[in-house]
Amino acid sequence: MSLLQAHLKLVQGRFVLDAQFRAPANAITALFGPSGAGKSTLLSALAGLKRAEGSITLNGGEINALPAHRRGFGLVFQDARLFPHLTAGQNLAYARRRARDSRLEPADVAAFFDIAALLDRPVANLSGGEKSRVALARALVSAPDFLLLDEPFAALDGMRRHAFIQVLLAAHQKFQIPMMVVSHSIDDAAALASHLVALKEGRVVAQGPFSESALSPAFQALLDPRDIGTALPATALHSVREAIGHWLRADHVLIAAEPPLKLSARNILQGRVAALTPESDSSLLVTLETDDGPVLARITPEAARELQLQPKKTAWAVIKAHAV
Amino acid sequence: MLSPAELEILSTSFAVAWRALLFSLPFAIAVAFLLSRPGTPGRLILDGITHLPVILPPVLVGFLLLVIFGRRGPVGALLEQWFGVHLAFTTAGAALATAVMSFPLLVRSIRLAFEATDARLFEDAAVLRAGPWDRFLSIALPLAGPGIIAGTVTAFAASMGEFGAVITFAANIPGQTQTLPLAIYTVLQEPGGEAEALRLAAMSFAVAMLGLIAAEFLQRRARKRLFG
Repeated sequence: MSLLQAHLKLVQGRFVLDAQFRAPANAITALFGPSGAGKSTLLSALAGLKRAEGSITLNGGEINALPAHRRGFGLVFQDARLFPHLTAGQNLAYARRRARDSRLEPADVAAFFDIAALLDRPVANLSGGEKSRVALARALVSAPDFLLLDEPFAALDGMRRHAFIQVLLAAHQKFQIPMMVVSHSIDDAAALASHLVALKEGRVVAQGPFSESALSPAFQALLDPRDIGTALPATALHSVREAIGHWLRADHVLIAAEPPLKLSARNILQGRVAALTPESDSSLLVTLETDDGPVLARITPEAARELQLQPKKTAWAVIKAHAV
Repeated sequence: MLSPAELEILSTSFAVAWRALLFSLPFAIAVAFLLSRPGTPGRLILDGITHLPVILPPVLVGFLLLVIFGRRGPVGALLEQWFGVHLAFTTAGAALATAVMSFPLLVRSIRLAFEATDARLFEDAAVLRAGPWDRFLSIALPLAGPGIIAGTVTAFAASMGEFGAVITFAANIPGQTQTLPLAIYTVLQEPGGEAEALRLAAMSFAVAMLGLIAAEFLQRRARKRLFG
């Protein structure tokens, strides 16, 4: 199966991209970074829409010298650009006619994305969410070796965004196509991806399995202080959302020094204090090692003193199901 | 309504205009597309050459055509030798002169149609494995279609009015190269020809207006058909 490996260099005015990373087969990789980090540029360079120095290997073959139409990537942009002179169905047919193999029939994919009823419509008559699904279906019908998604849900709000993430997860499972999803939302990244590539100012600052590499100081430094936290697998937590993983913010975790009883919170994880890291006069971060991985909690120094938190001491992390 | 002579003038004008468009349309589409792409090498030079007929005096264009396509001109001599074709002083010659003169107008309107297309759609098509020709035929051409049709009809109407280059290269031969403006010029040379000139002018005006209205109508219809 396909494994994507790339080292790309590209200079655009004062911006320099110099990124080296791997993305595994059969996984969704999050390409995470603040705006201006070069995420979209990197995707364009991978897809062949921008020329970059370096190398890209996909399925063991070097493809950086090939034009975009011979590379085997699929690419979905955030604004779901469909061909305006075709109907939704003709957009799918366009991709199908040029696909290298016929693993995916437009009718099956359309049924999966629940867009069969839209196929006769001109794309001008589709809503934003419908366009996103048609664009994703079109990319899948082209049977890419690797699917790149540039913030495919950025244009969607709350509910529709969450629904689209679930569709994306289900599509990945059903069609078995490796994906790389650009996101600057840590929640979206954690919900979708099991692998992480973090980009800052054109360079990869962290990469690897999501929860491990998300712990690295270089990655945590990319986050807004309010977003600091850890990734836990979906199986570890009782949540109101369906996802691969959850991003657990330090601000959303309570620490108990004794087993808590009769709480409304749905998640109580036992662990041992691994570290107490002062952040400021009014806050410190507690790292609690649990069976499901480390959990961060932000508490006040007074609370730490009252609970007599010490490294190696047993404690409980308390998390509301609605917080993840 | 129209006298046989006037009908002949009108039909000569049409014959010249549609041949002119037939000549120039494929080139105009190719040049317009190249000019609409930012990456085309030598774009400025191509743009300059395309617009030359607008800047140069039409008589000079006609003269240059004579020099090149006349019987003793480098291209004209070859055409006669190989195909037995000569262009100077023929309907085909009038069409060539007209084609050259209306080329900038045609390129301009088609280019605007290409430029109005979201260039990122070509990126989408490329990622969906459409090669350069495929992208041109499946995306660029259909999306620019309404603009190309409108530009062609407008250029057709304008082609009926070409004067200086036509009279210099193809002369003023009734039934062959005497188009509407040439006929107006001819009757004005004779004493008392003003009334006939006015009739011919009204015909010119009617053809031009019909062309512009048809262009607008066709463009709207094509747009509706394309984009619902």
